[in-house]
Amino acid sequence: MTKMRSDRLKIVFMLCLAFITIGGQHFESKVAQLLRDETEDIKCFVEVKDLTCFWEEEEERNNLHDQYTFTYSYENKNKMACVVSSLSLLASNKTVFYCKLPKTPFFTPLDVQVFRDGRMLYSRSLNAENFLFLDSPRNLTVMSSEKEGQLNVSWLPPLLKYIDDSMIYEVRYAVEGSNMGKVEVIKVSTMLSLLGLQPDTRYKVWVRVKPDGVAYKGYWSAWTEPVLGVTQPSDMDPLIMLLVLFIGLILCLLSMTVIMSHHKFLLKKLWPDIPTPEHKFPGLFTIYKGDFKEWMSQNNGSMWGRSVHVYTEELPSPLEVLSEVSLTSHGTSQREERQAVEEDEEKESERSDSGLTDRWREPPEAYCLVEQLRALQENPESLSQSLLLQSHDTYVTLNQNSQGDDERQVDDVFEETLPLQMLFTTAGTTSLNTSHSDLSSLQQSLGSGRLSSQSSFEYPNHTWPPKGPGYAYVAVTDSGLGRHRMYTNDYKNEIFLHKWPLSGQHTQSRSESCMGPVW
Amino acid sequence: MQTFSGLVSVLIVFVWLGGNQVSPLRPICDLRVLEHFIREAQDSEVIMRGCRGGCGAMKSYFVPLTSVDFAFWEHIDVHEQAVEVQTGLSLLVQALSTAMKAVSNSRLASALDNNISNIHSLSQILHSLDLQQARSTVLPDDSAPASTQSQEVSSLPELLQVQSSFLRGKVRLLLSAAPACQRQNS
Repeated sequence: MTKMRSDRLKIVFMLCLAFITIGGQHFESKVAQLLRDETEDIKCFVEVKDLTCFWEEEEERNNLHDQYTFTYSYENKNKMACVVSSLSLLASNKTVFYCKLPKTPFFTPLDVQVFRDGRMLYSRSLNAENFLFLDSPRNLTVMSSEKEGQLNVSWLPPLLKYIDDSMIYEVRYAVEGSNMGKVEVIKVSTMLSLLGLQPDTRYKVWVRVKPDGVAYKGYWSAWTEPVLGVTQPSDMDPLIMLLVLFIGLILCLLSMTVIMSHHKFLLKKLWPDIPTPEHKFPGLFTIYKGDFKEWMSQNNGSMWGRSVHVYTEELPSPLEVLSEVSLTSHGTSQREERQAVEEDEEKESERSDSGLTDRWREPPEAYCLVEQLRALQENPESLSQSLLLQSHDTYVTLNQNSQGDDERQVDDVFEETLPLQMLFTTAGTTSLNTSHSDLSSLQQSLGSGRLSSQSSFEYPNHTWPPKGPGYAYVAVTDSGLGRHRMYTNDYKNEIFLHKWPLSGQHTQSRSESCMGPVW
Repeated sequence: MQTFSGLVSVLIVFVWLGGNQVSPLRPICDLRVLEHFIREAQDSEVIMRGCRGGCGAMKSYFVPLTSVDFAFWEHIDVHEQAVEVQTGLSLLVQALSTAMKAVSNSRLASALDNNISNIHSLSQILHSLDLQQARSTVLPDDSAPASTQSQEVSSLPELLQVQSSFLRGKVRLLLSAAPACQRQNS
């Protein structure tokens, strides 16, 4: 029983000691702080409801038992004495003397005086309500807010009556580890939301309190112990980031696959090929290096199947195919005309611009034929009278109208658009179809300026229209090579004419029997 | 007959509700009004400190006691507190009026006039709190204060300091502890 009682007493005593020491710690810390900050000789502050005034021990005196007398008075009353105590500050190794007034009158001027050995040392007049030194706020808590970059801070005011509603707080917050802090001031309310913080960051928060200065004034309290708070991480969750990246990767792969599968098509659209005529001219660029003449010499037969139209400024000349003309009579006239023809030939050669006429040598047979045709033209009537058509030879005359002349003829010529066809028959009459095809100028190849068209011999009554000199005749003989088709190219004619001598035996056989037509 | 009895019962209900009303005025419990008055009293002190001429002759004024012992104050009844406050406000009005007559500085005079009107407003506020104190307890000018709850000051600066201390102390404590306001807060 007694043992229990003594134990209880011990516990109570220990608690009291603890309380006092804690209070003492508060008191000591306040004294220490004011010792640094306050400039007055007598430094006074109100803790809870009691005014405490203290002063520093003079260095000269080492005697701890100096007689300090502390007196105070107010409202014209008599002076009252206060018990002086001493306190040794461990931190600064200083000693202070202090006096705590038992019943502190507020809202009235207080006159305090310190005497030492009967002599007045310090004196001061103050209103107690102006020197409140409050304790730090209690129960500081920092909560993470649901919103990004926000922290909710709350605390409790120090235990003090009457001035709960006249307190002002200061909240300081800084990133953990950083010295750069921000301060927020808030009146009366004991809650605050810190805004504009960095997401997913640890913050330290401190709070201190002071009377608002209207009814009560005082010093800033000490900062509370820092409390840590963590802000919410940003909305972009790492899981969401990963998902987004993954989906992006898949989309990239898909697009790549599509592009690769249709790359040719896309390439064609984006980077179209420059069209080249190479497919029309096989081997021209690869084998012959663009030498068209060489290429032509090698590939003439296969090319004629493709109609390559060369449009020149000159009007196309129609091609008419004459019917066969038998070369039986007309010996003397032939000879006379032969000279004329020779002259004509010379003239033609002179007139020619290109060197083709030099190479072009009328085969003897053609010469005879030309002669005969000339005779026919000079004497159209004779032709109509007696005309025997023999198959074997086909005479073709070309009509080329000079620019601007005989436009009517041109119109006549152009009316017919039937393709040229020639039939070669060995016996019997031949039916020839005259036609006017799109003939280009044969000027260059034949070396003549003017060509005239002749009507078909199919109609014997048809008279030859008188023509001037300067005809160019292209005689087409049946060389036994089958059907020859006339093409409209200059080069074709040249080549064709070149091949004429290759008729070979056939022509040679003709040369001997170069007889004029029977008129 | 039935409608008439219904009307009568309704009227009785209204009278009962009307009778239950304690005070015709709504209690003014916001201390910010008092704080406004306190600031203006402190402004007068500042003006007084800067006054160079026409700042009132040296005259003695009877002013209330302003000292507050919290331990003692808590033991006093609210009504006694109200009486003490009201008496003190009356004294202050008297003193300020007397002082204003002697002040020729226009700025100081207007400040004093403002303080007087503030004290009148405070009286109205105390009345709204229904502390059962005597109404319009303005004492006559020449009557000596009977209670010991007054003191004498010899200058206008002291008078202004008393006014400020009184408002910040007793008046504020009374208003913050008024039962009507406590009921509203709880």
